[in-house]
Amino acid sequence: MSLTLDALAIYKDNHLMLQVSTHVLPGMVTSVMGPSGIGKSTLLDAISGQLSAPFSTTGQVIVDGKGVHDMPAYERQIGMLYQDPLLFEHLTVSDNIRFAMPKTEQKRLGRDQVQAFIAEQLSKVGLSDIRHRAVQTLSGGQQARVALLRTLAANPKAVLLDEPFSKLDTTLRQQTREWVFAQLKDRSLPALMVTHDMEDANSANGEIIEVSL
Amino acid sequence: MGFLYSANMQGATVQFHAWGGSAQVNGYLKWVSEQVEARYGIKVHHVKLADTSDAVSRVLAEKAAGNDNQGSVDLIWINGENFAAMSEHGLLLQNWVSQLANFPLTLPEKNTAMVTDFGLPTKGQEAPWGKAAMVFYYNQRYVSSPPKTLHELLQFAQRYPKRFSYPLPNDYLGISFLKYALLALNPDHRDVFYQPVTDTAFKQRSEVLWRFLDKLHPLMWKGGDYMVSQASTLQRLMSDGELLLAFSFTASEIPSAVKRYDLPQSIRTYAMQDGSIGNVHFIGIPFNSAHPEEAKTVVNFLLSPEAQAEKQKIAVWGDETVLDMAALNPMQQARFQSEPLHPSALPVSGIYQLLPEPHASWTDKLREAWFARYGERF
Amino acid sequence: MSGFHRFSITMRMMFMCILILPVFAGLVGVLMPAFGFFPALGETAVSLKPFSQLFANDNIVTMSWLSFSTGIFATLLALGGALLLVAVFYQRAWLNRIQHLLSPLLVVPHAAAAIAFLFILSPSGWLARLFSDATAANPLPPDWAFPYDPYGFSIILALTLKELPFIFLMLLSTLSQPQIELKVKAYLKVAQSLGYSHITAFIKIVIPMIYPHIRMPLLAVLAFATANVEIPLILGPNDPPTLAVAVLRWFNNVDLSMRFQASAAAVLQLIVTLAALLFWYLGERGVAKCSPRILLSGTRQWSDMGLTLFAAVVIGVYALIALLLVGSVFTWSVATYWPYADMLPQGVTFIHWQTALRSLAVPLGNSVLLAFGVTVFAVILVLLALEGEVQMTKGMSPALARIDRSIMHITLYLPLLVPGVAFLFGLVWFQQMYFSSLTWLHLFVSHLIYVLPYVFISLAIAYRRIDPRYIKVAYGLGKTPLTVFFAVKLPMLVTPIAVAFALGLAISFSQYLPTLLSAGGNIATVTTEAVAAASGSSRRLSAVYVVVQIIMPLCGFILAWWLPNLFFKPSLQATPSSQGVKVYESNP
Repeated sequence: MSLTLDALAIYKDNHLMLQVSTHVLPGMVTSVMGPSGIGKSTLLDAISGQLSAPFSTTGQVIVDGKGVHDMPAYERQIGMLYQDPLLFEHLTVSDNIRFAMPKTEQKRLGRDQVQAFIAEQLSKVGLSDIRHRAVQTLSGGQQARVALLRTLAANPKAVLLDEPFSKLDTTLRQQTREWVFAQLKDRSLPALMVTHDMEDANSANGEIIEVSL
Repeated sequence: MGFLYSANMQGATVQFHAWGGSAQVNGYLKWVSEQVEARYGIKVHHVKLADTSDAVSRVLAEKAAGNDNQGSVDLIWINGENFAAMSEHGLLLQNWVSQLANFPLTLPEKNTAMVTDFGLPTKGQEAPWGKAAMVFYYNQRYVSSPPKTLHELLQFAQRYPKRFSYPLPNDYLGISFLKYALLALNPDHRDVFYQPVTDTAFKQRSEVLWRFLDKLHPLMWKGGDYMVSQASTLQRLMSDGELLLAFSFTASEIPSAVKRYDLPQSIRTYAMQDGSIGNVHFIGIPFNSAHPEEAKTVVNFLLSPEAQAEKQKIAVWGDETVLDMAALNPMQQARFQSEPLHPSALPVSGIYQLLPEPHASWTDKLREAWFARYGERF
Repeated sequence: MSGFHRFSITMRMMFMCILILPVFAGLVGVLMPAFGFFPALGETAVSLKPFSQLFANDNIVTMSWLSFSTGIFATLLALGGALLLVAVFYQRAWLNRIQHLLSPLLVVPHAAAAIAFLFILSPSGWLARLFSDATAANPLPPDWAFPYDPYGFSIILALTLKELPFIFLMLLSTLSQPQIELKVKAYLKVAQSLGYSHITAFIKIVIPMIYPHIRMPLLAVLAFATANVEIPLILGPNDPPTLAVAVLRWFNNVDLSMRFQASAAAVLQLIVTLAALLFWYLGERGVAKCSPRILLSGTRQWSDMGLTLFAAVVIGVYALIALLLVGSVFTWSVATYWPYADMLPQGVTFIHWQTALRSLAVPLGNSVLLAFGVTVFAVILVLLALEGEVQMTKGMSPALARIDRSIMHITLYLPLLVPGVAFLFGLVWFQQMYFSSLTWLHLFVSHLIYVLPYVFISLAIAYRRIDPRYIKVAYGLGKTPLTVFFAVKLPMLVTPIAVAFALGLAISFSQYLPTLLSAGGNIATVTTEAVAAASGSSRRLSAVYVVVQIIMPLCGFILAWWLPNLFFKPSLQATPSSQGVKVYESNP
């Protein structure tokens, strides 16, 4: 699996905002840096297919060797992670993860196996006891972990991260960061991360793209 | 009169078409049905109408279809407009009322209202069943001697300013008050009101009414600027003491309102000595009734002192009898007095003189003239 | 674009059509007879005869003025009161208490409020009893002008009482929008640091800023106040009445030829309402022109004490009236004999309740059935329309999206700005002409016209507040728009949906004119029965009807507050264990 941006250009009202070309290898995290307001988040929207007016794009996004330009967002299989975990508050921790699992996979596994799979995923990250908890009662670090598990449970082909650690305090930030990158590597997922924190970029240990005006 | 009962009537069912919107009326007709079956073996089926004109149009349709002796309506409860329509189209059996044994008890020569329906002679096509007359009621807590005539009413209004009112004339009770005033103010020219109105007659007779109302209005509740649009509001204003004198067409509703706490216990009911405008409601037999003889038997029973006394009981229906007490023997009279009266109820034989409804054309003319004079109220 | 997207956009179109078409059809149906064209009555020649007939009426100017003046004064008083309360109590503990006092009054139907007002205003009500001469042996109720006074003071009072909570809550809702709240708080701090007192700062800085946000609802209030029927019908004079009441009477006249004059009067009502809106607009301009002199005068402290005292008096009077209203209807509904000047009835009885509940069974069933049907439909349609809005504006340029928004805005307020008496009669005429047997459908549509805007306004705020990133995350998880709508958006909106639902029920319960006209009087609801009973013979029975009218919408809101917690937030039932959180914190 890999993620390729082939001269992906973003326009606002037909004026070019930025243009990016890159190739992210499986398990690698490419960082996008630059001043705020330049359109880094818009770039992620463009890749995931969620761009709306007045923005438009040219160029290609290729996921796992397939151009996704004409696909709607929900068919692109590109997972999103934001600085807020954005867990669904009407669902429990385990239901948040189950919500993400594709129907076909849930069918294949059967109900008990699905529960067992979720329990296993949670216990791997030390959260086995909180399966049936309300997500609002989790700490920030716990929520961040559940958010990533949820993203991964959907079997994405690439992951986009938008300032994923900026709301965590320093110690927690470092731990979470290392753990997230390890998970991505573990599954050989290509990832693109927007950040303005040099430490994030360094820790990602991948290509760094500087965008400027 | 020999027709009253014969063996071949046994088992017939008389279809009695009557408005079915009142639980009290329905209950009374159930009692009638039981009595008639026990006595004569005739079954009475009450067809509960939402609107009496439904039955009228049914008979009309039967006539149009050539059904002249198997009609589905045997008895019909009517008056006023519906009677006029049925009479005009020849839908009623003629000249049968005088055959009834009990009809003379209404003293029709004295009480012309028994043979006149809104100014139209009944010509024996319908028998009187009950009557409604305008009664007045006052609050004894504040008023010791209520007005007994229309003239005294004006004096009352001067003595208790802003404590009397009447509903706007597009309300039934409102126009009835105007008719009462018109008749009471023209005691020597009554005949003219039972003929179709003419412009000259109206001008002549109404003059005195306008003079009366011009004096009354400023003395009325809210100075006559605001007049209630519905008769029922009068009762509420009486209950609050905002009015000290009001009137109604259903004497029985006053004691029952007192029992429901809607009027104070100090309310007393009485009738005016210069006459009470009233109308009689009737029973007709359609020309094509399938059971005319049985129907007449039922009507004769309805006119019996027993059935009339039952009907007049407040707990049953409270509908005023059409029988004249003078025509009854003491035993029959006693039936009507059996019930101890509520203090607020109209005393027995409390009506001094029934003033029959004027010809219908007077009503419309009067209403139009009132609005033209006092402005279009809402 | 997915099928669901196309469907939701279609539903948005349908939503707009349901609001626009009946209003326009109704206006056409009134305009035609107003100009003498009414084929059903054999009139096909266009003429101005209905208008000349109308203006031949001596009272027409008085009626129009009564409608205009009661509307303007009531709206002004209600706005002034609401602004004063917000200015004085913003950021103070009392604001919440006042909100709790005023919110329930918002959902009391106008008819119920008017009848309750009749109870306290009438010469035999509590107010008169309070001031009666206790020494007299047989005191008589005073002979004062209220209610039914010829100048419409009773109408103004009742309208003010009813509209103040609406405007007040609209102000609070605006002030609680996140961007506005942030700004307002910052502005207040800046102004206070410049030496302006809290209240003066609020009036000089915040009110001009938030006024545009409450402008449309305010105009809707004004339009309603100039053209409503139930309050003047119950409390107003009848020689002459307000124009709207006259229109109602003329339309219901047995003489069908009165329809022409009635239609002309309905058009006049439309003009009177437009004139009031225009007058208001000019008033706004005037205030805007004069305001810099006041705003920039440099005065930093108006009498805060005085204003606070005044606001306290307003709220005190308000609380007293509310208490008297509720207290007197409850007391009357269980009263036995209650002679004048006694403060309490002689005894307590439930026979009025027994009588009323027996005769209310059918109307109550009709009200509930209709309200549920209409509201379920309205909530579903509004949700789909909101979804359609998101999908539709996605591909639009900002300018186009702005135009789309304002079209939606006007559409929403159309049924609230065009007086009901002006278009409902025309609508009924169309309905009878083409689908005369579908009484329930007509009733349904006429209620829907009034329920949809409120449901939309109340849901749109919550819908537009959903963090769009939730949706992006869900798409990233491979969820289709349909799944996202049902499994993500709807669960997030459970509480607002429940509140919108309760609001819809309350609006439907309170409809008088649409019910009366569309059903031709054949389908009774609690509200139509209550208005009829208001002029009936029993004050006690009427009181029961009012109590039922007050209880019904409150039940809806209590359910709205209680049900979501019961069914839709399963995760909240699990109790949080703070212990557990700590253990895992250090162990990622």
